[in-house]
Amino acid sequence: MYVFEHALLNLGKNKGRNILLGIMLFAVIASAVIALSIFNATDSIIENARIEFNTMIQIRPQRRQMGGNDNGASTVTLEDLHRFADSDYLSGVQIGVGGGFARGNETVFYLRSPELLYAFEAEMREKGLPDDWAVFRDESSYRRMIAPIENLQDISLTFLIVVMLFGAAIMILLSVIAIRERKYEIGVLRAMGMKKNKVVLCLWVETIVITFVCFVFGIIVGTVLSNPVAGALWTGEGQINIALNGITALQILGASLLLATITGAVSVSRITKYEPIKILMERN
Amino acid sequence: MKCLEIADVTYRYDGSTEAVLKGVSAVFEKGKVYTIIGQSGAGKSTLLSLISGLDTCKEGEVYYNGKKLRNLDRDEYRSKSIGVIFQGYNLLLNSTAVYNITLSMNISESDIKDKKAQKEIAYALLEKVGIDRETADRKILQLSGGEQQRVGIARALSHDPDVIIADEPTGNLDEATEASVLEILTRLAHEENKCVIIVTHSENVTAIADEVIGIRAGKLLIGEKV
Repeated sequence: MYVFEHALLNLGKNKGRNILLGIMLFAVIASAVIALSIFNATDSIIENARIEFNTMIQIRPQRRQMGGNDNGASTVTLEDLHRFADSDYLSGVQIGVGGGFARGNETVFYLRSPELLYAFEAEMREKGLPDDWAVFRDESSYRRMIAPIENLQDISLTFLIVVMLFGAAIMILLSVIAIRERKYEIGVLRAMGMKKNKVVLCLWVETIVITFVCFVFGIIVGTVLSNPVAGALWTGEGQINIALNGITALQILGASLLLATITGAVSVSRITKYEPIKILMERN
Repeated sequence: MKCLEIADVTYRYDGSTEAVLKGVSAVFEKGKVYTIIGQSGAGKSTLLSLISGLDTCKEGEVYYNGKKLRNLDRDEYRSKSIGVIFQGYNLLLNSTAVYNITLSMNISESDIKDKKAQKEIAYALLEKVGIDRETADRKILQLSGGEQQRVGIARALSHDPDVIIADEPTGNLDEATEASVLEILTRLAHEENKCVIIVTHSENVTAIADEVIGIRAGKLLIGEKV
């Protein structure tokens, strides 16, 4: 119990160093919140778009081989389209009609799920879809729609990786400096008989408290800034809405604790090397 | 009653071929004050480091209550069985004098868990060595060398150890405080049956010793003045 008390007292005694550590950690967490919120939001958009697109089926007459044209292809009437649309595999249909004629190639069938494609095609063939008409998903439209989102996702992922690596490097550096500064204090505690694991626990508690405070502020600021940042990076049409969800918050908390643990591990490796007599002799 | 024993201890610093201590042996009993004297660099502080479990010898053994020190939990030994008064004080500079004492009590897993009671004991110990309450509540950094030394003495006594080891404990004290500290150390040995081992250059300190141990050229000279 006294270890926790000692750690909390130390937070107040080493204000300068802890504020510096807190600012760095806050910047890392806020940046990670922005990056991870954007990444998760775009991931969700891409996943929804993929599911939606994979259920959107169209038909069109196949081109004739060797430079032929569509003019000789069989026709699909409005009646055919209604017959095709009457299927248990579909959740909806948007029949293309123009100039009083049915336009099969402008009709979109919405499958209940993407894997029903082949069953639905077989059903349409049975109902009279000519062999020279193809059933397809419009990959190029999908790529056009999804490209800016993927672009934003790539940027956010790269940014997240850079922030985490940079954050880890800075935290380790600060931790090494802090341990050097506190070598004497560690020597005194060890000379008084405090066990190594308790000294480590003490330093770890200090880091965890700072991490938690920075996590709270980082989450708030990161959430506020994630929409403007996403807006600035977004090159697609319309708006993109980024909202922090519980999973993202947990991921950030996990990453923050990981950072704190990495710095804790650095402390452990340094402290394990220190013998109290050597520290005290160096100073005295 | 035998409490500490060093048996045929030889000690070299890393990278040095010359031994600081050369096969030294001595026995320390409870209820006695020992002073260790010798010229600077003779190995007095090294001997204290070995006895206090801050360092280990590669040749020979240190025994505490008949058990090899190298086989004991040295952290527990330092926190419970011995109290060390360091020449350089070795206090937590950013903490108050009273906190240094209560922390030592906590590290030694003192039976007194109540914070208020711990503080009262700490104040009383500090008062014994001439530190009043107001000074006790000041940070170590704000205390003079003599005051820091007295806090170091109080801390060494805070967990009621069997052995008190002191490296020049009165070096920074005025005569009156020196006399009072020596009186405390003598009383601890003679009335509370502690083993008190003091490294010193001071004749005043040597005068209170029940036994004087000299160190010269890495050898112990029991009962001799150097």
